[in-house]
Amino acid sequence: MSSHPAFDVAELAAGVVLAGAVLALWRKDLRALIPILALQGAALSALAAVLAVSDGNLGLGVVAGVVLLAKGGVVPGLLARVVRADPGSRETAPLVNVPASLVAAGALVVLSYLVAGRITALAPDRLTRLVPLGLATVLVGFFVLVTRRKAVSQIVGLLLVDNGIALVAFLLTAGVPLLVELGASFDLLLVVAMLQVLATTIRARFGHVDLDQLRELHD
Amino acid sequence: MTVYLVGLAALCLASLLAATLSDRYRLLGAALVGVAGSLAALVGAGRVLLTGHPVALHTGAVLPLTGVDLSLDPLGALFVAVTAVVGLAALCYSVGYGAHATPGRTATAMLPAFLATLLLVPAAASVATFLIAWELMALTSLLALLGEHRQGPAIRDAAQWYAAMTHIGAAAILLGLVLLATQVGSQSFAAIDAHHRQVPAPLASVAFVLVLVGFASKAGAVPFHVWLPRAHPEAPSPVSALMSGAMVNLGVYGIVRVGEGLLGGGELWWWLVVVALGIASAFFGALHAAASSDIKRLLAYSTVDNMGLILIGVGAAGALAADGQRFLAALVLLAALFHLVNHALFKGSLFLGAGALQHATGTRDLDHLGGLARRMPATAVLFGIGALSISALPGLNGFASEWLLLEGLLHGFTSHSAITEAALLAGVAALAVTGGLTATAFVKALGVGFLGMPRTERASEAHEVGPSMLAGTALLAAGCVVVGIVPGIALPILDHAVSSALAGGPPRALRSGIGLDLASLSGAVDPALVVVGLLGALVVARGALLLVPRSAELRRPRRAAAWGCGGDTQVPRSEITATSFAEPLQRVFADVLRPDHDLEVTHAAESRYVPEAITFRQRLDDATERAFYQPVITAVAGWGRLARRVPNGSVHRYLAFGFVALVLVLVVLA
Repeated sequence: MSSHPAFDVAELAAGVVLAGAVLALWRKDLRALIPILALQGAALSALAAVLAVSDGNLGLGVVAGVVLLAKGGVVPGLLARVVRADPGSRETAPLVNVPASLVAAGALVVLSYLVAGRITALAPDRLTRLVPLGLATVLVGFFVLVTRRKAVSQIVGLLLVDNGIALVAFLLTAGVPLLVELGASFDLLLVVAMLQVLATTIRARFGHVDLDQLRELHD
Repeated sequence: MTVYLVGLAALCLASLLAATLSDRYRLLGAALVGVAGSLAALVGAGRVLLTGHPVALHTGAVLPLTGVDLSLDPLGALFVAVTAVVGLAALCYSVGYGAHATPGRTATAMLPAFLATLLLVPAAASVATFLIAWELMALTSLLALLGEHRQGPAIRDAAQWYAAMTHIGAAAILLGLVLLATQVGSQSFAAIDAHHRQVPAPLASVAFVLVLVGFASKAGAVPFHVWLPRAHPEAPSPVSALMSGAMVNLGVYGIVRVGEGLLGGGELWWWLVVVALGIASAFFGALHAAASSDIKRLLAYSTVDNMGLILIGVGAAGALAADGQRFLAALVLLAALFHLVNHALFKGSLFLGAGALQHATGTRDLDHLGGLARRMPATAVLFGIGALSISALPGLNGFASEWLLLEGLLHGFTSHSAITEAALLAGVAALAVTGGLTATAFVKALGVGFLGMPRTERASEAHEVGPSMLAGTALLAAGCVVVGIVPGIALPILDHAVSSALAGGPPRALRSGIGLDLASLSGAVDPALVVVGLLGALVVARGALLLVPRSAELRRPRRAAAWGCGGDTQVPRSEITATSFAEPLQRVFADVLRPDHDLEVTHAAESRYVPEAITFRQRLDDATERAFYQPVITAVAGWGRLARRVPNGSVHRYLAFGFVALVLVLVVLA
């Protein structure tokens, strides 16, 4: 981790992940969310690859491959199938409208910078200084979960949270162990696959995928 | 102490056996080991009672941090002995009671476990040990109460009330005792007793009021009694006997132990409050007992009544002690403890007898019984002994203790403080009123239940219960008779208990002998002489009848009237029922009892002037429940409905809870 290009790539990747999260908050068209997720996956994979090269860590290299495959390829692919089954579906009326959401995202980024100050203070270097971006991605992802109505948006929110966590993990610990990352990726795949089936079933049953109208199910 | 501990261990083993043995041997095995255990505990407690020397034990092995402190002084040993006797009878009884429909493993296992915890509480000698034993008792009694929960929702309702009340009580006791322990700086009872003067008076009062609430709710004192008329009837009968004969006593034990023992007597007003609780309970309990037609509910309310009498005695003793009249205080306390012992004996046997009725006929409703004296003669005799005892007829034990209590209260009028005298006077009045009401209640129970004709088919098909059930009941009834005829035998034991309860060891209140003789006050009674006199009079009267020549009038054959209204065509439906027997009383006390009638007349199809069937239903409300508990329950339910609005089923709202919580935590961290 001595060469400057590695840091540059890492900064770029972290920036892309957060920017992707904010974009996901901005775009109402569900189809537009898929490339954003794929881009985030690719950025995470690139970050892992750069770290693997600079550390000479083969395991991390494999992780980079897995991340690219799962988050950059399979998961967006699965999501794309859900969206394709219901073309023209848009996040028409989010619980918090888009401009307000963007302002909130700004506030969340500020908050994560404030919080992450303590973490970066433990080992201040160029990589750990990027941690707030990961935290902010987690928070924005959570915000998407809370405020968006469509099932697809919910899945996207969950994926954003996961991407944020992965980003923080890569930055702080130079990558989680291979086995853990494999397990986490597999879990994520399963969750997305399940949500895909669920979303399809809900649409078949109720004719829409608007979670807000499902409150009759309580108790 | 060793024998006592062996007894506890045997009861735990009995519980274990009940949980593990096969269905065939479960009841018998648990009962045999349990009976041996109760006998051992009885011997251990008896030794302390007879010698008057306390024994103690401390072990750090069982509980971490605090260890377990056990100590049996004569006061505690008295309660252990009473509990052991009732437990002995209940375990013996449970063999026959469970023989037909074998109760579940939990139910069988909980009876000895409940008994073990009951025996443990009076031996606890530190705050931690006491609270743990108390909690264990609450838990095992709750599980034992639920023994027959499959038979209806009423049991679950009763269990809910019981659980709520017992936990509120336990919380109050916990607060009170912990307050004392922190003020004194030690949690052992001996240390609190030795340094109770360090506790500032207001704090001591707060602590006493807190423990009083807890113990009064366990003793079933009005207005904390609401669980009792629900739980006692619904529990399996051996459990009812244990609850009513042993568990409620521990409430009295707690009040005496903390008030007289740990706090050294305290202030006058504490004890006046106890007397007031006692008077309210005695009156309220006796009235509801007289009006109830469910036999176990009647017995439960009568427990409230008797606990009230005992609390009057305990409170009067405390007030007299606070007045400096140690001799009278000892006398009244002795009377109260004596009544407690007697109540355990007769109420235990009555509950077991009521269980036999329920076992034989499948109902507890007196209106559906009748004529059982011919079908279940042994049960009838045993129940009769209990009923006569509780009505305080001379020659049986209830008379001995009530007489003593009355004497003690009357002699207390020489007290120096007017307010104490007023309290004692009110106590005497309560004793008199409840005496009459209790007699009414048990004339009803005995007369409507056992005499006359059977009112339903089930009652006419009743059969005598098995020998083990009769033996259990007979054990307690025999105790009633023996103590009733020679009450003097109980005095040395009670003397030890009283002198260990009242600090400073007061002089002996009674001269020893077979009767009751107030040593320095005027007043003595010898029930043995009364019994001999009554029996003699009976023999003489019977002999005299033989001598009188029968007149020709009596020898002539009798003829029934043509249309049968002359009285020879008695049918069950024309007999007096429990409800109708209590009806005049209900009218007089309508304000307290608030009877709720429901009369439904179905007419014949041909004419609406001819009624085909008349259904009469009646429900008695508990006035305290409506006044004190319903508003609280309504308020809590209201809050519950409000709280249910928060989770409205929206996924987004649930997610938002998590998100907002996360952001708030981060903001706090930042």
